[in-house]
Formats: sequence, structure tokens, C-alpha cells
Amino acid sequence: MKQTMLKTHGLTKKYGQFTALNQASLTLEQGDIYGLVGRNGAGKTTFFKCVMGLAKPTAGEIEIGGSSANLNEARQQIGFMINAAFFPYLNPKQNLEYLAMIKGITDKGEIERLLKLVQLDGVKKPFKAFSMGMKQRLGLAAALMGRPPIVVLDEPINGLDPQGIADIRNILQLENEKNGTTFIVSSHILSELDLVATRFGFIEQGNLVKEISHTELHEHTKKALVIEVDDGQKALAVLQSKFGITDVSVDGNKLVLESNVEKSNVIARALFNEGLELFRLSPQETTLEEYFMGLVGGQNV
Amino acid sequence: MFNYIKGEIYRLLNKKSMYIFFGIFAAVYILFALVNSRMGDGYNSKSIIDHAYELFMFLPVVLGGYLFGSLYNDDLTSKNLTTLVGYGLSKLKIVLSKLVLITLFSAVVFGLIPLVMTAVFAILGAAPTAAALGTVYIKAFVALLTTVAFSALTGIVVYGLQRKTFAMVLYVLLSFGIISQLISMLLNSDIIRGIAPNLDKHLMTGITDRIEQGLTSGQPVILIFIEYIIYVAVALTLSVLAFHKKELEF
Repeated sequence: MKQTMLKTHGLTKKYGQFTALNQASLTLEQGDIYGLVGRNGAGKTTFFKCVMGLAKPTAGEIEIGGSSANLNEARQQIGFMINAAFFPYLNPKQNLEYLAMIKGITDKGEIERLLKLVQLDGVKKPFKAFSMGMKQRLGLAAALMGRPPIVVLDEPINGLDPQGIADIRNILQLENEKNGTTFIVSSHILSELDLVATRFGFIEQGNLVKEISHTELHEHTKKALVIEVDDGQKALAVLQSKFGITDVSVDGNKLVLESNVEKSNVIARALFNEGLELFRLSPQETTLEEYFMGLVGGQNV
Repeated sequence: MFNYIKGEIYRLLNKKSMYIFFGIFAAVYILFALVNSRMGDGYNSKSIIDHAYELFMFLPVVLGGYLFGSLYNDDLTSKNLTTLVGYGLSKLKIVLSKLVLITLFSAVVFGLIPLVMTAVFAILGAAPTAAALGTVYIKAFVALLTTVAFSALTGIVVYGLQRKTFAMVLYVLLSFGIISQLISMLLNSDIIRGIAPNLDKHLMTGITDRIEQGLTSGQPVILIFIEYIIYVAVALTLSVLAFHKKELEF
């Protein structure tokens, strides 16, 4: 059985009348890469702030490593990045050395390891001269310092180019596989989160509406078959008579089949044999974004 | 807490602008001393005292202000308080460590200034007597106390509001004595004097003035020191309370 690394029970944070986080109960198990999904202002950062002791919860309980006693000490096991905040006049090595001193890390090799990992080794310029991508990478290095068992990352790929996004994804997977690091990551780029996360939590208006594993998610986001022909009604008749398919939605000459996805070659041949012109026949899977939209009924993430 | 203090010392020692600031300050002072030595009767072995009286009028503002900014305000600029609290460092330890650090750095800076002054005066052929140097050190010590106390007081704003500009303005107003003068005017109003006379000697400026007078005249200052320590302790307590109450800014 996997060890529970972080657990919240009914975590609530109110600002006056506004409820930023409402009864959030989340479980993070060892080895998880947990994707926290929610739109702007949904409560993701508030959740992280409460976990890291940066905001005092109005109600609820936090357990780190199975204990809710002495959270300050327990937080020393957590690496985190909520905004990449560093001293502007120090270079990356100096900033990491400062943090290493505060964390009581004496292994000088650790800083070199991290700088290499995030490809900032040899960079001498101060933090204030960094690009957004460099700042994010330094933030990740700081979060991974000392190989903490839990790492909290709030929007780590914001402002990164495609290569930077891929690099960060690789680092997360590497640290997860090599050191067994448990991650909880929030991101707006859901397709990217889908590539890396093993579990998801969906948060909306402060409520954690659903927790789901990657496997479960992809069972829910089942495939469909999209067909575009020159005569939609004739194609529908063919599908009903030859295959007994009833779960078809028709939009003009575009048909979407919820079943028989694996029979695409047979369907194509049948449509062709009936004299239909086939413009498109392709499987389509609901994306994480579409799943999220369906869950919260919203427009933008 | 020790790790944090160690980290902060490392940070400040790697802040290049600090060396530039102190370098410019030293250069301006030497130039000022050089120009002054050519005016009037020139310098003698006691001239350093007059110099110290002028210099230490504004040193808690200029040097103390720089140290305050580097130690307290840099945390707000770089949002370092979130890092520290997120790492599990208690707010009490952060506030206490800052006081230790401002005391330490002020002690080094205000400890070195009389030596720099001595060297400059010696080069200009007016090496101070031991008694004159002692007087300068009393002034430096009072400047140290002032810087520490005003930093502790401004710390309430740093942790309670987390607004660096406001904190810096408040520090400057305190160290220029503007706030002290305003409160003093209030305390010397007929109504308040009728109820409790001589309250203004219990303001921080009054306390440091009495410490200076006591040290200069050889009078015991232990009770005034206790008053000073209570002042700083209250400021620290209020800082910790304010820090606990205020959510960290992102």
C-alpha cells in the first residue's frame, strides 16, 4: 500500500465573505504526480498557500507525512515553487547556495547537480537579467533542492517555450522515477499536465470537484470515430442497416460514432461500397481540457 | 535560526551594490574631510569629535537606512518571506534573526567608522587622542542603538503591511527624528503635561540621548538600557503578532 504523503481534510479558506477554498479534501500518495486543474481564481494557489503555511486556513486539517502535529517541521520535507522568487542581484548559484544554507544542506555537489539538471550551470548573470524560462527553471531547481520527498509546483511551465516545457516535463519524470519524488503540480496547460500527471484533482470555485487517476480519466475520455462524407443521411442509413449502430450524432455531413471505433476500416469499406465519398474518418479522444469543461461547465481554463 | 543568519550573511556579503555604496560613502567622506582640513584653522587632535557630532547626525539615516533596506526590504522585493515560511521557518525566528543581523551588521559598520575617521585624521596630521576616539565610539554606539531600535520599530510595518516603500519612508522619518518631534510636540501639550509630565524622555530619541549623556559623563546607564531593551522587545512582539496576522504577499 502506498504511503500517504499529504492529506487535507475539509480545508477551507475564507477572505471575508469570499470563500477561496471550500472543504478541499485531497490525498497525495507516494510517487504521485498529481495534477491540480482549475481555472484562474479557482483556488489552486490558495490551496498551496495553506499547505505551505503561507496562509492560515479558516477551517480544516493538513497532514504531512501522516501527521498534523508540528507542521512547520513537516514542511521542511517539502520543496516548493509558488512564483519563482529570488534575490535579483544574486546569480543562480548564489541564490541556490543561500537557500541551501537556510535548509542546512551542506553537500556542495547538490547545487552543481541542480544547476546541471535545469541547465543553468555556468550562468553568471544575476537573477534580474533572467528570462522567464530561466526564472522558472531556477525555481524548479530550488524546489528540488535536497531531494525533498514532496514537491509543490504552482504553474511551473508558465511562460516557457515548447522546449522549456518538454525539459521541465522530463525533469519531473526523472525525479519521480529516480528518487521517488511525489509532485503536486498546477498548470493551465492541460495537455501538458495530461502527459505527466498520474492523478488529477479538479478544482472549481474553491471546491475540489473530482479526484481521478490517469487511467480512470482515460476510461472516461473514451474515443469516438469522426466521419465526414458527401451525404450524411445516406451514411447514417448505412451504419444503421449494416452495423446496427444507433449511438451516432449527425451534424450535416459529419457523423460522430461513440462505439465501433475499432471497426473503422470495415466502416470505411462499407461506406465506399455504397457509393459515398469519404472525406474524413478518424478516431477522436476527449482531451483533458474537454473533460474539465464538461465537469465544470465552463469556457476557459 | 543559525542557518538563516548564516544564509543572510552570505547574501549580504555577495551583494555587490553594498560594496559600491560603502565605497562611495568612504570616498565622499574622505573628500569632505580633505576639503574641511584646508578651511579655517585646520584639524587638531580633538577635531574628530566635532566631525563625529556632524557625521553621526545623519549616519543612522544613511548607513542605517541602507542596512535596513538590505536586510528587511530585500525580503519584500524578492518575496523571500514566502520562501522562508514555506521552508518551515517560524515567524518568531525570522523576526528575531533579523534583529540579530541588523545588530551584527550595524556593529561592524559603526565599529569601523571611528577607525576610518582615525585613519583619515592621522593622514591629515591630526591623529585623535584616546579620549577623543572614546567620544567618537560613544557616538557610534548610540548610532548603532538608534539603527537597531528604529529597524525593530519599522519591522512592525515590514511584517504587518509588507509594503517596502512605506517601511523605508517610516524608517527615514524615524531616524531623522521627525516622528519623534511630532510625538514630542503632542506630549508637551498642556493637557498631556498636566497628566504626565516629561514623557518625551521615554521616546526612543530621549532614551538614546540619555544613554549618550550617561556614557559621556560616566553616569550609570543600566536602567536606561533596560528601558531600551523593553522598547525593542515590545517592537519585536508587535512585529511577530503583525506577521502572524498578515497573510504573506505574493
